[in-house]
This record gives sequence, C-alpha cells and structure tokens, in this order.
Amino acid sequence: MTTTARFVRPEERSANPYDDEVAADPIPFYDALRDHTPIASMLALPHTHLISRYEDVKFALQHPEIFSSDISAVDIGQDRPLLPLQVDPPDHVKYRRVMDPQMSARHFAPLEDEVRGLVNDLVDRFSERGTCDVHAELTVPLPCAVFLQLCNLPQDSLDQMLAWKDDIIRPQLRHPDAHDPEVAGQIRRRTALAIYAFFGEVIADRRAQPGDDLFSRFANGEIDGERMTDEQMLDMGFLFLLGGLDTVTSTLDCSIAYLGRNPDRRDQLVADPSRVPAAVEELLRVHTPVMQVLRVVKQPYEMHGVSLEPGDSVMVMIGAADTDPTEFGETAGEVDFDRPVNRHLAFGGGPHRCLGSHLARFELVIALEELHRRLPDYRVPPGAELRYSPGIREIAELPLEFTPRPRRSS
Amino acid sequence: MRIVLDADRCTGHGRCYALAPEVYDADDEGHCVLRVTGEVPAELADKARTAADNCPERALSVVDGP
Repeated sequence: MTTTARFVRPEERSANPYDDEVAADPIPFYDALRDHTPIASMLALPHTHLISRYEDVKFALQHPEIFSSDISAVDIGQDRPLLPLQVDPPDHVKYRRVMDPQMSARHFAPLEDEVRGLVNDLVDRFSERGTCDVHAELTVPLPCAVFLQLCNLPQDSLDQMLAWKDDIIRPQLRHPDAHDPEVAGQIRRRTALAIYAFFGEVIADRRAQPGDDLFSRFANGEIDGERMTDEQMLDMGFLFLLGGLDTVTSTLDCSIAYLGRNPDRRDQLVADPSRVPAAVEELLRVHTPVMQVLRVVKQPYEMHGVSLEPGDSVMVMIGAADTDPTEFGETAGEVDFDRPVNRHLAFGGGPHRCLGSHLARFELVIALEELHRRLPDYRVPPGAELRYSPGIREIAELPLEFTPRPRRSS
Repeated sequence: MRIVLDADRCTGHGRCYALAPEVYDADDEGHCVLRVTGEVPAELADKARTAADNCPERALSVVDGP
C-alpha cells in the first residue's frame, strides 16, 4: 500500500494519525479507519482510542457527560482550565452565555471594512512581486492582526503574539532543543506566564478605562451574578490566542493550497464571489484543518465492542467524519461548491461547538474574496511539495505565483 | 409546511440564518430563533428546507402540512 491507508492496521486495530504524510493526504487514512477499524487504538496504546464514523463523532461531541473536554485532555502550560473549552456543562453554559454574544455573527458584520483593510494591507506587501509565501505573508499574520484589532491592541504587538503562540503550540519551531519534552514543558510554562502577565495588564487597563474592545465587553459580563474575575478573563484570553489563530491559518492554508492547484475551482470564485461562503464550508469539510479533537472518557461506554474506561483518551476524528459517505454520499471525498446539504463538523458540535466559528467564517470569507479579487490567477507552482503538519494542518511554506499587480492606490 | 425548532439541540452553528435569513434569525447568543413560526410562505419553502437540512445538530425539522 502506498497510500496513507497504510497508517491504519486493521489486524492490530491500531492507527497513527500523527504523520506528515497523513496530514498531507488524509482521506485514504480516514476511509480506512471508518471502513475497517471504526474504533482504533492510537499506536496500539490500550487507553487511547480513535473514533471516525460521522454518527460516532457526532455522538461523542454531543455527549460531554461521557466524552469530557475537561483539563486533563490538554496540557500546554496553562495554570487553570482554558475557558470555556475545558469546562463541561453545567458550568460551561455560564461562560458561553457571556462569551457567545460577543462572538456572534451579528457582532462581526460592522467590522467588515476594517478586516478587508487588514487583508489588503498584507496583500499589498507582495502583490507587485508576482510570488509569495502566502502562509508566512498572509495566513499567519491575518488572524493575529484581526485579534489585535478586536482587542484594540497596537498592530506592532503582532510579532510578539505570534512568537508566544508558536512557543506554546510548537516550541521546537523557535527552540531546536525543545525536542526534549522537558525543555518543551519549561518553554511552555515560561511563555504561559508571559501571556498571563501581558493580558493581566490589558485587563487592568480596560477595567480602568473601558472601551469598545473585546476585553472591555467581557469585563462587564456576569457569571453567577458576579462580574467576571481577572482570572476568568485571563483564561479566556489564553484560549483566544491558542484556539483562534492557528486554526484560521490552517484553514486558509488548506483552502488556498487546494484552489491554487485546481484553477477551475479558483476561477469559479473569481467569476462569482457570491459563491465564496459555500466554498468556505465545503473546503472546511473536505480539508478539515483540525483533524481531531481530544476527549476524556468520564463513564464506562461500549463502542463497536470495545470497552471505553473512565480516564481513557479519545481522539475524535472530525476530519474522518466530514468525509464519511454515509453522511455525505458517494462524492464525500470530492469538493463540490454546490453541495446542497453540508452538516460538516469542522467546528465541532454539541455544547463545545467552536466559540470562534463565526469570527473564523467572517475572516475566511473576506480573505478569500480579497485574494481572488486582487490576484485572480494565483497558483501553486507545479512541482511544489507542500508539507502539512499533523493535528492542525498548517502548510509550513505555501508558495504562490501570479501576475504581478499594483498595490492598492491609497 | 412548518419548521419546528428543538432549542435544546441548537448550539449556535448559525448555518440556518446564514442560508435563509428570511426564515431564521439569531438571538443574542447566536442561537436560532424562528422568524416564521407558522406556515412557511411557498416562495421561501425551498430555502427554509435547505437551511433546516444543513443544521449539524439536527435541531430543525420540517413538518409538512399546516
């Protein structure tokens, strides 16, 4: 077998999703998982399970009382649970009630011109060149620039934010010695302290002088009839930085890589920008950038004849669910911007449904609209080899070539 | 044709009001509220049905008849 299906071993009921090859071409891997081992063990570890069928994935996401999202699922140096991700119902709903209104679709619409401006500022830096690394020059800085804008923080904090985010998520990127897990842990804890200190100052400032930024609005939120504490706001800030940036980067990477290699699909969006929102949903589905989310078993549960015990880890493979033919039909693995029904789970589902999904969609749509308007003939150079990272599918370098275009006339 | 919303299932994906804003709206938290609670006008029926079909939580169902 030369496809990524070989990373699934039905005879051992085991699988390994953490490989660059799987991340680059996950669909054969997903198909093999769903078809042959609907519950697999991660690398034959007895207490780490992979689930992949649409109905199983949806069930796990909708039942946090069995498949919990609580803190033990992820240790990235944080002191306390990431809010609201690592708190399950019933407490979870208290946080979402404060945060959801600030993250609703309605809330972002008035920011359209500002975000369009941020995209165009970035495109201006390479449009005359005829080539770019769209990962480094657009998809990485954009979500961070939008976050700074939402928080009314100066854009010159961008490089610092990006460095912090990398040091938490992939410390080895800037620190070669972080391949040692102990060193990585130290870097994460040090970085987490720096992030807490930074946001601590921002929160103190916003309490003293409230404005119309995200933190000022959260500062007025009430949990159990009491104003949100600094700690609670810090924990949310931490999650924003970690959950909100890489995910949008990877979605743009996966989408632009596909479109840059499929000029007929790219041309559909150039010819009719009103198709961009549907294209965003379809690319989220087929190229699900966050391949899996992690859950911890809270109560004994049996799935496909395998007993899940409390404390077991479950990798909920949302990418596999999103390409399941039982839900999406025979063309599940193909991109179709006209797909009439698309109940993809790229933003998860159930009570922990991605808090930032409306912001993400808003950024994704604007970024793709502007990219196609400004550089309509962009493509990935033939022969370019793209390296996808497993887990969250970023593309380390994403070269594009296009007819050079002038900067915006300002 | 009518739309029935199971508000307990809705978690605010917002697919419905993105696809058929004439029929579905968002409350302050971004959860679905029906703008059309009775018979859906014929000209909106297809749109209303497509949007209901796209709910990832299956919180919306279409009931034929009055």
